[in-house]
Amino acid sequence: MITRDPATDSNARTRSGPGPCTLTLLLTPALGLVVVLFGGGLVLGFLQSLGHLPAAGMKAYTLQHFQNILTDPDFLKSLGLTLYISAVSTAVAGALSISAALFLIGFQGPRRLVDFIFEIPLAVPHLVIATAVVFLLAPSGMISRMLQTTGLIDGASRFPLLINDPWCIGIIVTYVWKEVPFITLMVMAVLKNTGAELLETARTLNANRWQCFRYVVLPTIFPSLGAACLIVFAYTFGAFEVPYLLGQTYPMTLPVWAYRNYSDIDLMARPEGIATGLVIAGVIIAAIVLSQALTRMARRRGAII
Amino acid sequence: MAVLLLSLAFSICWASSAVAEPISWDDVLKRARGQTVDWFMWGGFPSTNAYVNGFVASRVSELYGVKLRQVPVTDIAEVISKLLVEKQAGKTTGGQADLLWINGENFRTAKRNGLLYGPFADRLPNQVLVDWSRPSVYNDFGEPVENLESPWGSAQVVMIYDSARTPTPPVSMGTLLEWVRSHPGRFTYPAPPDFTGSVFVRQVFYHVSGGAAIWQKPFDEKRFNLASEETYRTLRELAPSLWRDGKTYPENPERLSQLLADKEVDFAISYHPAEASKKILDGLYPSTVRTFVFEEGTIGNTHFVAIPFNAAHKEGAMVVADFLLSPEAQLKKADPDEWGDFPAIDVKRLDSQWRARFAELPRGAATLPDEVLQSHRLPEPPSDILIRLEKGWEDHVLKKR
Repeated sequence: MITRDPATDSNARTRSGPGPCTLTLLLTPALGLVVVLFGGGLVLGFLQSLGHLPAAGMKAYTLQHFQNILTDPDFLKSLGLTLYISAVSTAVAGALSISAALFLIGFQGPRRLVDFIFEIPLAVPHLVIATAVVFLLAPSGMISRMLQTTGLIDGASRFPLLINDPWCIGIIVTYVWKEVPFITLMVMAVLKNTGAELLETARTLNANRWQCFRYVVLPTIFPSLGAACLIVFAYTFGAFEVPYLLGQTYPMTLPVWAYRNYSDIDLMARPEGIATGLVIAGVIIAAIVLSQALTRMARRRGAII
Repeated sequence: MAVLLLSLAFSICWASSAVAEPISWDDVLKRARGQTVDWFMWGGFPSTNAYVNGFVASRVSELYGVKLRQVPVTDIAEVISKLLVEKQAGKTTGGQADLLWINGENFRTAKRNGLLYGPFADRLPNQVLVDWSRPSVYNDFGEPVENLESPWGSAQVVMIYDSARTPTPPVSMGTLLEWVRSHPGRFTYPAPPDFTGSVFVRQVFYHVSGGAAIWQKPFDEKRFNLASEETYRTLRELAPSLWRDGKTYPENPERLSQLLADKEVDFAISYHPAEASKKILDGLYPSTVRTFVFEEGTIGNTHFVAIPFNAAHKEGAMVVADFLLSPEAQLKKADPDEWGDFPAIDVKRLDSQWRARFAELPRGAATLPDEVLQSHRLPEPPSDILIRLEKGWEDHVLKKR
C-alpha cells in the first residue's frame, strides 16, 4: 500500500505552485475564452430556443419549443436510441481498453510499432472512419464481396445488415474502433506510473490474477478510466456525423434530429433544433454530475484510490 | 460579456437588406480585380467541383484577375441559417460567403428574410443571352426571381437503369409503381428533404393528382389535402416493397447511384440528364447504363447563383456570375466530358458560330436527346407545396403517423 503524507503534500504545493493571485491571472485568458465564446453561444442559443429570433421576425419568449420536442412521440425513441448507442459504445470500448492496456503494459515485443498502430485511429476523423465502415460492412461492401467470391455466402442479400441497421452496429463499430486507443492510452498512463510496483507487491503477497485485477488494477485505473469513458460517452451522445451516415433514416438520434430541425427550410423549426441541442447538453451535464457523485461515493467506501 | 451585449445590441437595430449601388459595369470589373470570391455550393458532384475549381477558376483569374475558391457544403440551407445569424448579429459587411449555388426553397427563405444582395442579375452583360420569359427562369419554384439570383444551368429529372439487367424499364410512374411491387427490394429513393428524394415524391404527387398543370394555378387547400394524402398512402403502401423493406432510405442521390452500381437496386434518380453518361466515362457505371423520362414527363427547373447581403466581394461575385453565363462557360459546362449540365442561356440567341459549337457537342451514350427532354418537361410546383410534401412525407410515410 502507498500512503501519502499530507504534510509533505501540501508543502510541495505551496513551494512550487502559484499563489491565488497568479493563479487567477493565469486562468483568466482560458476561462475568459470559455465564458465569452461558449457561454455567449449558450445564452444566444437559449434565447433562440425560446423562440427569440428577431432577424426572422420572431420576438417571443416561450417554452413552447421545449414542450414541443419533449412531448413529441419520437422524443423518447430518439433519446433511448442515442443513450443506447453511447452506452454500448462506451462499455465495449472501455472493456476492450482495459484488456488492451493490461496486455500492452507487459508487452515485450516491438513496442514502438504497436504504439504507432494504436495511435493511428486517434489521428483519423470520425467521418473518414464512417465512410470506411460503409465500404467495408455494406451488403455490397468489401467483406461481403470477399465472402461471395469465396462462396461462403450466396449473394449480397445473405450478408447481415451492419449499416443503416436497427441495432446500429455500424455506428458502434466506428465508435469502438476510434475510442479504444484513446481510453487505452489514458489507462496506460496510470498503469505505467503506479501499476507495475503495486502489481509486484500484490503478487509477492500471493494474490491470484482475479484479486490482482479486482483489488489493485481496477482501483488504480478507475479515475482515469472513468474520466475517459465519460468523455467518450459525452462525445458519442452529442456527435452527429456518424449516426447521420450509418444510422437508419428513422428513428434518428437526437443530434441528427437537432441538425434536421436546424437546417430546415422552415425557420420556425430552428428554435426546436436549438432546444434539442440544449436537451443534449442537459443529458451530458447530468451524466457528468452523476458519474462524479458515483466516483465520490466509491472513493469514500475505499473502492478506489 | 461586453462582446455579448454588443452583439445583442446590434441584433436589435440590424441594417436593412443590402441594395446594389448604381455603379457601371466597368467599375464593377475594376473593383473585382484582385478579389477572392468564396463560392459556397453543394459539393456532391465530382464533375461540378472539377468544372468550378478547374475551368471556371482559371478563366476568371486570367480574364478578370478574380481568385475563385469553391467551398463545398452538404446543404446550402446551413449557409442560409448562418447568414440569418449574421444578420441578427449585425454583421452586414465582410461576410464569409461571396456567392451561393442556391435551390428554390432556400432562395425563398433567403429572399423573404432579406439575406440576398441585389437586384444584380439585370446588370450582368451576359444576361441578354437568357430567355427571361420562360416561367422556369423568372420563377424559381414559384418564387419570383426579381434579379436576386442569376441563372447558371438547367436540370431535369431522369431515371437511370442498366439495360443489361432491365431490358424494358417501366416508362411511366404508374408502371414503375407496378414494377416495384412485383420486384420487392429492388427500388428505393433518397429520403426527403434531400432534393432528389423530394422531387421523386413530387413526381408521385403529380401522378396521383392527374398532372402538373393544376398546381400552377392558385393554391387550392382542399385539392392539395386530397392529393397529398393519396401520395402518402401510395408511398406508405409501396414501402414494404422497397430496398430494405422501406425501413431505411439512402440519404442522397450519390448513395443511391452507389446502390445501383453495386447491383443492390435497379434504378437511380438524377436531376442531371447527363450525369449517367459522365459516370460511364468515369467508370462508375457499366457502359450498358441508360436513362429514360416518364411518358407523362419529368420535373425540370433552372438552377441559380445568388450573392449574400453581407458578401465581402460582391463585385468579384458578380463578375463570376456573369462569366458563368458566357457562351464559353456554358459550352464547356454542357460538354459531357466536363459536366454535361444543360445551358441556362437560350442557344438561339447566339451567333451562328457559337450555335454550331453547341450543336456539335458530343452526347453521352446514356443522355437523352434535347427534343425528348424538352417535350417531356414538367414545371416545379410552388415551393409551399414542396415544403408541405417534404414534411408530410416525414410524418406519414417515414414515421407512419
